[in-house]
Amino acid sequence: MALDVASRARFNLERAVVLLLDETQLGMSILVQIVTGLGAKNLYRCTSLEAAQEIAAQHEIDLCIVDALEGGKGYDFVQWLRREASEPNCYVPVLITTAHTPTSDIVRARDCGGHFIIKKPIAPIVMLERIIWVAKAGRPFLFTGTYVGPDRRFRDEGPPDGVGRRREDLAKAEAAKAEAEPVAAQGGRDVEEPPERSAAS
Amino acid sequence: MTSVRFVFPKPRLNELLRTPGGLPVAEAIEQARKNLESIRPTCTAELAALLELCEAGFQNLADDYDDATLAELYAIAVKGIGAGDVCGMPSVDLALTSFCDVLDHMRTLKRFDREAVGVHVRAWRLLMTAALPEAGARQVIDGLLKVSRRYAAEVAAAA
Repeated sequence: MALDVASRARFNLERAVVLLLDETQLGMSILVQIVTGLGAKNLYRCTSLEAAQEIAAQHEIDLCIVDALEGGKGYDFVQWLRREASEPNCYVPVLITTAHTPTSDIVRARDCGGHFIIKKPIAPIVMLERIIWVAKAGRPFLFTGTYVGPDRRFRDEGPPDGVGRRREDLAKAEAAKAEAEPVAAQGGRDVEEPPERSAAS
Repeated sequence: MTSVRFVFPKPRLNELLRTPGGLPVAEAIEQARKNLESIRPTCTAELAALLELCEAGFQNLADDYDDATLAELYAIAVKGIGAGDVCGMPSVDLALTSFCDVLDHMRTLKRFDREAVGVHVRAWRLLMTAALPEAGARQVIDGLLKVSRRYAAEVAAAA
C-alpha cells in the first residue's frame, strides 16, 4: 500500500494511546516529532524495557512503536507483550524501528511478534503507511509453541507462477518443456535423436 | 505434534483512525516534516558529539582484534543512524549503516582491519561538512559500500 503524500484523505490519531520505546534521546526525539506531526496526542515515552512493561501492564495501548534497543531488548519487550501482557494489549499493533540489525539478532527480530520492522531513517509517510496498514489489516494471531504474534503470511497464492516448489516438480516441468519443443531445442540436429532429459525425470 | 491456535483480534486503532476530525494525509506529513526541521540543530549537535566519541574510540583501538571496543564503536554508530536524514545529511545515515555492517561482519568473523574502520570514521567526519557536493558524497558512499560488501561476501562464504 503506498500513500500519496498529497492525499486529502483524513485519518485521526488524536485519541489513540501510543507507547514509544527508545532509549536514546535522539531516537525518541525524532519519533515524537513524527508521531505528533501525524496527530497523535496521547503518548507514553519509555526509555527502558522496564518502564515500557510497567506502562503496558497498567494502561490500554492502541499502538506500540518500539526501537530494537541495544542488545535487542526491544525484541524482548515485544515478546513479553505477546506472551505475558493481558488482553487487549497482547494483541496491540507493534511497529519495530531499527537502525541496524546485527546478524546475530535477525532471527529474534523476525520471531519476536512485531507486525512490521521499519528501517531508520524513518520518513513520516512510511510511518503513516505502516500505522494505517497495521490498523486495518486484521491479521489473525498465532499461538504456537515457539511463536506468538501476528500471522506473518501475507497472502496465500500457492506456489509462485504456478510452478510446483518441489525439486521433482521443477524437473518434470523442464522435461515437459523439452518434449514440447524438440526441434527448437535440438537446433538442426536429427529429429529422430531423443531429446536430452534431466536426470531426475 | 505442535498445536496452533488462531485468534482474530479487532484492533481498536482501526476504529480510532476513522473517527471524525483528524488530519488530511498531506497536512500531517507536512506537519511531521516541520517538526523534524525544528529539532535539526539539536540533532546536528548530537550527531557531532557521537562522531567525536567515535573518533576517540577509534584512537583507542588496539592493533589486534578487540571485541569490546568494536562493540563500543558499533553502539555509537548505530545511535546516529536516522539523525543524518533529519539534519539534511542523508549520506551520513548511509555511511553509518555501512560502518555498522563492517563492525558486525568483523565481530562475526572475529577479525580486525584498522583501515576499514578508519575509512568509515573519516568519511563520517567528511560527510558532516556542509560544503560537500552531492556527487562527492555519493563517491564517498560508493567507496564505503565496496568495503562493507567485501566483508559481507566473506561472512557469506564462511557461513
